[in-house]
Amino acid sequence: MKLSISIHWRRKETHYRLALTKCRACGRVSFGERKVCPYCGSKDVTTLIPSGTGTLLSYSVSYFRREGDEEFLPRITCLVKLDEGAIVPGELVDVDPDEVYIGMKVEAVLRRYSSDDPYGLIYYGLKFIPFLKG
Amino acid sequence: MPRPEERVGILGWGAYIPRFRVKAEEIARLWGFEPSVTKALWIEEKAVAAPDEDAVTMGWYAAKSAIKRAGIDPSLIGCAFVGTESKPYAVKPSATIIADALNISKVKLSTDMEFACRAGSEGLRLATSLVASGTIKYGLAIGSDTAQANPGDILELTAASGAAAYVVGPSEEAVASFEGMVTYITDTPDFWRRDCSKYPMHGEGFTGEPAYFHHIMTAVKLLMEELGLKPSDFDYAVFHQPNGKFPLKVGKRLGFTKDKILPGIVTPWIGNTYNASALLGLAKVLDSAKPGSRILVAPFGSGAGSDAYSIVVKDRIEEKRGLAPKVEDMLRRKKYIDYATYAKSRHMILRNV
Repeated sequence: MKLSISIHWRRKETHYRLALTKCRACGRVSFGERKVCPYCGSKDVTTLIPSGTGTLLSYSVSYFRREGDEEFLPRITCLVKLDEGAIVPGELVDVDPDEVYIGMKVEAVLRRYSSDDPYGLIYYGLKFIPFLKG
Repeated sequence: MPRPEERVGILGWGAYIPRFRVKAEEIARLWGFEPSVTKALWIEEKAVAAPDEDAVTMGWYAAKSAIKRAGIDPSLIGCAFVGTESKPYAVKPSATIIADALNISKVKLSTDMEFACRAGSEGLRLATSLVASGTIKYGLAIGSDTAQANPGDILELTAASGAAAYVVGPSEEAVASFEGMVTYITDTPDFWRRDCSKYPMHGEGFTGEPAYFHHIMTAVKLLMEELGLKPSDFDYAVFHQPNGKFPLKVGKRLGFTKDKILPGIVTPWIGNTYNASALLGLAKVLDSAKPGSRILVAPFGSGAGSDAYSIVVKDRIEEKRGLAPKVEDMLRRKKYIDYATYAKSRHMILRNV
C-alpha cells in the first residue's frame, strides 16, 4: 500500500517513538500527539514518550491481500495497553498466530511498515513483538 | 604518558539477533555442497532477518539496549556511526533514521561507515577518539548487517543477520575500559561488491592467509607489543568470525588457548553477521565476564584490515547486565524456517513490484 511521504514524516514522533498526549487537567493519557485531551477537552496537555512496553488487549489475524503486502501475510493487528496507560493500535510480529494470547507482554520495535519498491522511500515505524527478557 | 583511549570506556552494550534460523545443511543440500562442508566450516545454522527487518531496524534494537545499559540521556550522545555493508539505501544514511528514532541529539556527527565487516569497528574507534579528544562526551557505534551472499555460493552457508551496538564515554563511568587499540590495513583483493551488484564476490585464494589471518595476527601482535602483554595476560579473545573454524585457528596461532576463545564464539549458531560478528562476540563475553577480566577483541574487514582492542572489565558491569536481553537470550529465541521462507524473507524471490 502506498503511503504518503509527507504524512509519514509529519507523524514521525508517533511512528518512531509512540508519542502520547498526557492531560494535566484529568491526568489521562491518549495515543498520538494532540493539542486537546480527547477525554476532558482540556488544552493543558503535554507530549509523553512511553517506554514501549505493554500488554496485548486484543488482536486479529488478517489474510487480506493488498498490493505489496504479500510477503508480510498473515498480519496480526492488535491493540496494546502501554505501561503508561494509553491504548494503541499496532501490528504484532515475530510470533506465529497460534502462539498469541491476550495478556501477552509485548514491546515496541522499529520495523519496516512498507516501501515504495523498487526505488522509492522505505517507511519505518514501531511494531510490537513478544517482550524480550532483559 | 597515558594513551588517549585510556580515558574512554564502554558504558553500554546491546545485541540483536533475528528470530528465524535456517540450517546450514538445508542450504548445502539445496545447492549440492559436499555434506561435510558444514562441519569443516563449523556452521550449524544462521540467523535470518524477517521481511520487515534490515540493518536499520536491527541496529536500532541493539543501540536501544546499549543506551539503556549506559543509563544516559540519548540526547547527550554526540555521534552515531553505523557500520554496515547492507545499507537499505545506497544514498540516505541509516544513522539518521536510527538516531532520530532513539531521540539522539540532532547536534551530532552521524554517518554510515563502509569497510566490509569492520566498518562497525571503525565507527567504534572513531567514537572513542572523539570522546578521548574531548570533542564529545558520549558516542554510539553500531555494527549491523543483513549479510548478502550469492545463492549457491559457499558464502551463503554463513552470511547472516544481526547487530551489536556500543555506547562509549568517559572511563570513570564505564563498565569496561580501553587499555589500547591498533589498526592494520592493506589493499588486499579478498572480497568485494561492485556498485549495483546485489551480491559480493571473493578472491578464492585471498580470503584466508593473505587477508583474515595476516591482518588479524599483525594487529594483535602490534597491540600486545605496544602494551607489553602476552596471550596469557588475557582472559578472553574475540575474533571476527566468518565461520566457526577461523577464530579458533587464528587464536591458536597467536597463542590463545581454546577456553579463552570459545566464550565469544557465536557464528556456528547464527552465522557470519558481518559488521556485527566480532562485536556480538564481545557482547556475549560482556554478558558474563567478571570484573577485572581482560578481553582481546579483533574485528576484521575485507579489503582488508583488522583492529585489535584490549579492554578491561570493571565492577560496574554487574548492575548493567540485566537491563537488556543478553546474547544467550537471543540465541535461544529462534524459529526454524525452510529455504523457501528464508528466500522470501531476504527478498531473493523475483516478483513484479
